[in-house]
Amino acid sequence: MNRFRPRGLWGFILRRLLLGIIVLILVSILVFLATQALPEDPARAILGRSATPASLAALRRQLHLDQPVIEQYWTWVTGLLHGNLGTSLAAQEPVSTLLAPKLVNSAVLVALAAVLSIPLSIAIGAYAALKREKAFDQASSNLLLLLAALPEFVVALALVILLATTVSHVLPAVSTVPPGSRPWNNWLALILPTLALVIAVAPYVARIMRASMIEVLESDYVEMARLKGLPERTVLLRHALPNALGPVFQVIALNLAYLAGGIIFIEVVFNYTGVGGAIAEAVVNHDLPVIQALAMLIAAVYVILNLLADVATILVTPKLRTRL
Amino acid sequence: MTDVSRRQLFIGAAGLAAAGGLAAACGSSSSTPSTGSATGAAGAPKRGGNFRLGVTGGGSKDIMDGQNIITKPDQARLMTAFETLLLFNENYQLTNNGLAETVTQDNPKQYTIRLRQGIEFQNGKTLTADDVIYSFQRIGTKKFGLTGYAATATMDIAGMKKLDQYTVQLPLKSADSTIPQTLGSYTFNMVPTGYQGYPHPQVGTGAYKLKSFTPGQQSVHERNPNYWRSGQPYFDTVTITDFSDSTAQANALLGGQIDAMTDVLPSQVKVLQAQNVGVLVSKTGGWLPICMAIDMPPFDDVRVRQAMRLIVDRKGLLEQVFSGYGFVGNDLYAPFDPGYDKSLPQREQDIAQAKSLLKAAGQANLAVDLHTTNGASGMVETATVFANQAQAAGVKINVINDPNFYGNQYLKLAFSVDFWGTRAYLNQVQQGSLPNAPYNETHWPPKSGTGSNFGSLYNQALAETDAAKRIQIEHEMQQIEYNNGGYIIPAFAGLIDGYATKVKGLVPSKGTLNLDSFGHGFRTIWFA
Repeated sequence: MNRFRPRGLWGFILRRLLLGIIVLILVSILVFLATQALPEDPARAILGRSATPASLAALRRQLHLDQPVIEQYWTWVTGLLHGNLGTSLAAQEPVSTLLAPKLVNSAVLVALAAVLSIPLSIAIGAYAALKREKAFDQASSNLLLLLAALPEFVVALALVILLATTVSHVLPAVSTVPPGSRPWNNWLALILPTLALVIAVAPYVARIMRASMIEVLESDYVEMARLKGLPERTVLLRHALPNALGPVFQVIALNLAYLAGGIIFIEVVFNYTGVGGAIAEAVVNHDLPVIQALAMLIAAVYVILNLLADVATILVTPKLRTRL
Repeated sequence: MTDVSRRQLFIGAAGLAAAGGLAAACGSSSSTPSTGSATGAAGAPKRGGNFRLGVTGGGSKDIMDGQNIITKPDQARLMTAFETLLLFNENYQLTNNGLAETVTQDNPKQYTIRLRQGIEFQNGKTLTADDVIYSFQRIGTKKFGLTGYAATATMDIAGMKKLDQYTVQLPLKSADSTIPQTLGSYTFNMVPTGYQGYPHPQVGTGAYKLKSFTPGQQSVHERNPNYWRSGQPYFDTVTITDFSDSTAQANALLGGQIDAMTDVLPSQVKVLQAQNVGVLVSKTGGWLPICMAIDMPPFDDVRVRQAMRLIVDRKGLLEQVFSGYGFVGNDLYAPFDPGYDKSLPQREQDIAQAKSLLKAAGQANLAVDLHTTNGASGMVETATVFANQAQAAGVKINVINDPNFYGNQYLKLAFSVDFWGTRAYLNQVQQGSLPNAPYNETHWPPKSGTGSNFGSLYNQALAETDAAKRIQIEHEMQQIEYNNGGYIIPAFAGLIDGYATKVKGLVPSKGTLNLDSFGHGFRTIWFA
């Protein structure tokens, strides 16, 4: 069968995409089984304390919870293939309508954090490696370690205290995105959550960049380049940096994937209207269609980011590039 | 990390935030000192502004319905647009300042409701007897599952009669002296004929019209220029925003993004006050009972129940859980009811007596699970503090904080901590202490023996038109509960809300709802 195996970079991407789809199918089954295993009735969970036998019966009828489990799953999967994510049990509206604006909001936040944190952390890490054991390296290493050790919400609350409530009132303390508006309509409110996310991600990437760069700078080929008398600028930008970036791309991908699923804390602290809050709420309400959609989404983000990281790594690493 | 410890971390972090805040002098100091008192001290009400309220406890299951609530923001939304026939004032006394001019009891089994004339709905339609009859019919329809349904059990809604344009006769299936209290409960609102919940048009008689509503996020309400109480309301708009976390809510209030918030944590009161934010402490009749099911072991033995009641250090619990905001309870509910029996001795901690009762019951080394959840604030803390206090009597209590507490097992547990709001005595009995009550955690009353006559006493009280005699019966019922009941009521918690100092007109209220019943439906408050 090897004859029909697609070759080259595109073949690699195609194979990985097919694998990704299999992963997503498995994820959908696993999530469905996990949510079914909980001995809980969504109608109860939604109504909570205000449930009366009458209102429970009314809601159960409305939600069609009488269908068999397999049938509920099959309805959902076939709907998904037609681009229909189903109807939220709690909100009584299509999952896509419910999640679309929140997805946009969260994506804006993650993208902003990525655009700021990636170049910043790569620059800090690379510069620290060049100035190894000097003042900049020591100061940045200590600060980054400290920031990495703090939980996100502590960082977020500290930012709020400094810039929004107690010490000064420069920025809004919460970043609620009102229905019908977009995050960028009130860009001032985006600053604090973005900053908190950058601080959450940048230390890890910078640390890995520094370690990777140091390793590369000590390698034979960099020494060779220097011995051949290449200008230091060329040595660093043409030879050292691309080779140091390989492992860093993997860490960036992991951190971005983490952001996609892990902005819950930041969104809660800033009351930011995003998917983080939606996840927490859907779990409490046993809102199966919403949980399914979000789990699929996060799984898809992981698959795509890992693929992108692998492609990027291959592109900057000649040894891997030629082996395809 | 469990839910509790995360929450505690949040609180801890906010506490740190506040400690730092004491040093920094507040930039946005208001020129008028916050007296915390009513209209008189605050000067004449002023028109205008957008009142922004932050509420926790909501989500995508939020609704808007004039006669139904699911979440706390729903309560606030209800108060913008809908009104009841009778009205509880801030001392939880019933007044006829609502939509009805009078509600009279013609005989034990019949009431007559006379509407105030000239009240218009937000769409210009006049409020008439037909709307009243429709409103009762809607609440009384079981399949709609509305909040007030249980309270209509004694009403003969099909037999309601329109006597004239503004007068309605309400016959009863069986005598019920609690009808006026029911007509004043905040979900028993009058809606126009044909009314349905959101997304259908929301038309009430209230001070604000619904402009937009996104469940789980926000609703915006516009001033009703046609409102029947002249001069009111004062704000141009009211914006209600959902918050998932009370730290974010407090930060928003401190940062000036909202003008008021519900449910300040007791531990944060001093913190907010130090930063020039108003704190409204309302001593309500709200309570967080420790519930013992009287028909499930080990609580099917009255000696065990009494022992548990003697284990509680009520003052200590009030201090530890509610930072002292509230007052001590005596295992009886409805403290503002004229029928509340104040003559029963205040129960105090008595570990020796508790131990001997447990020993006599063969439960000297009792170990038991206590179920609760992060529902109303203070529930988990109440369970934890009680578990600590019980150690002194050799009782081992294992607190289970279950996110699905209100799931299928709810009301089937032997031992749990729950929450209730302010209610009159007989209304509360009907909700929680009768065989057919919707939330009977303690499985009260006993099927046989002492207390088995509780239900018939309740019916006698409902039928009794003479207030003094009725109170006598209510005292008898409370004595039975005091000696045999399944509730431990250590304290009445009260409500603590926060507001920007420019908000005027808020007064502490004994009612169920936050922020002085949300500023009496956002119409008795204004911006200075």
